[in-house]
Amino acid sequence: MSGDSLSFPLPLTRFEADSCEATNLYRELRKPLLRYLVCLGLSADEAQDVVQDAFLSLHRHLASDGSQENIRSWLFRVAHNGARNRQHSYDRRFGKPLDPDLDSIADGATPEQVVLEKEKLRRLGKAILLLTESERECLLLRAGGLRYREIAEVLEIPTSTVGDTVDRAIKKLAEKCNV
Amino acid sequence: MCDFSGRLVAWMDRELPDNEAADVERHVRDCLECRRRVDAYEKVSRAFVAYFDAAIGEKRRRRLPRWLPVLLSGAAAAAVLLLVFQPANIEQIPVQPRVADAAPAVVLETETAPRPVKKVHRRHVIAPTKTPSTNWALAEPSIQIAIPVEAIFPPGAVPEGITFIADLSMAADGSVQGLRLQQ
Repeated sequence: MSGDSLSFPLPLTRFEADSCEATNLYRELRKPLLRYLVCLGLSADEAQDVVQDAFLSLHRHLASDGSQENIRSWLFRVAHNGARNRQHSYDRRFGKPLDPDLDSIADGATPEQVVLEKEKLRRLGKAILLLTESERECLLLRAGGLRYREIAEVLEIPTSTVGDTVDRAIKKLAEKCNV
Repeated sequence: MCDFSGRLVAWMDRELPDNEAADVERHVRDCLECRRRVDAYEKVSRAFVAYFDAAIGEKRRRRLPRWLPVLLSGAAAAAVLLLVFQPANIEQIPVQPRVADAAPAVVLETETAPRPVKKVHRRHVIAPTKTPSTNWALAEPSIQIAIPVEAIFPPGAVPEGITFIADLSMAADGSVQGLRLQQ
């Protein structure tokens, strides 16, 4: 470390405060957003693009003094609409199962455990294909850590419907997977 | 089928009003059938996340995200703040809003420091997990805080590979008085 130094006064500017907020949201929500978009049928590259666009929109939203209320559901709604705009990708979401890297799931487990785990996830993959569009979207948003109220805002449906849908979907998966 | 079965998932997700949640919690404690159901719903919820994480992992290896180099350079340019203050003062120091904003990036390098709380809401589980101690008494008199450079400076303002040591001056009441960066 050389002796070069510089001082600047506190507090942070509005730009810096917004950057902090956006950075925190990026760390917290990037992965759930990617997971949500890939599961809607977007390719990994398309999902990355949509997430990038969503965070650019967030930056503009914060810079223009946009409301910071319900910002998590706001981000998911922007990403959800971005996925819908890529209609071709969105339409293929029920066409074929995803291609998860099952080998990466059971790192460090015994060979028997790996086989069992892979089999369980294959069954789950088939069961997920049996879910309705709404059930799948609700479960994906729930997996992203959203509350039922937030899921309702993203999908523009009543909160009570979200509760019923999540309940039905979880029971369906548990039954089909026989866990 | 048990009368409570329709509310188990909502209870797990902490979506029930407090009084209803307490009823379900009491019931789950006593009802073996419902405990098994909650256990199955927990397992399938975790497997659901694992399945899609694996789907993302597989595709990520095919092509790296196009902004990965930017993220890596940002991480390499992480600024390290070294705060030195007396342990006896820790409990009296009010948390500054700006420090709170950067909370997820904070790394407290002491064994007794509480872990940052993730914002994602928790679900009910049958066996309650131990919560970390909230005792703020620190074993070491110093704290290192790593703050990614993009959280402080506008994008592109700091060249790749540059790091700073920042000395933070604090008043007796814990308020921040000034920040001096040394390269």
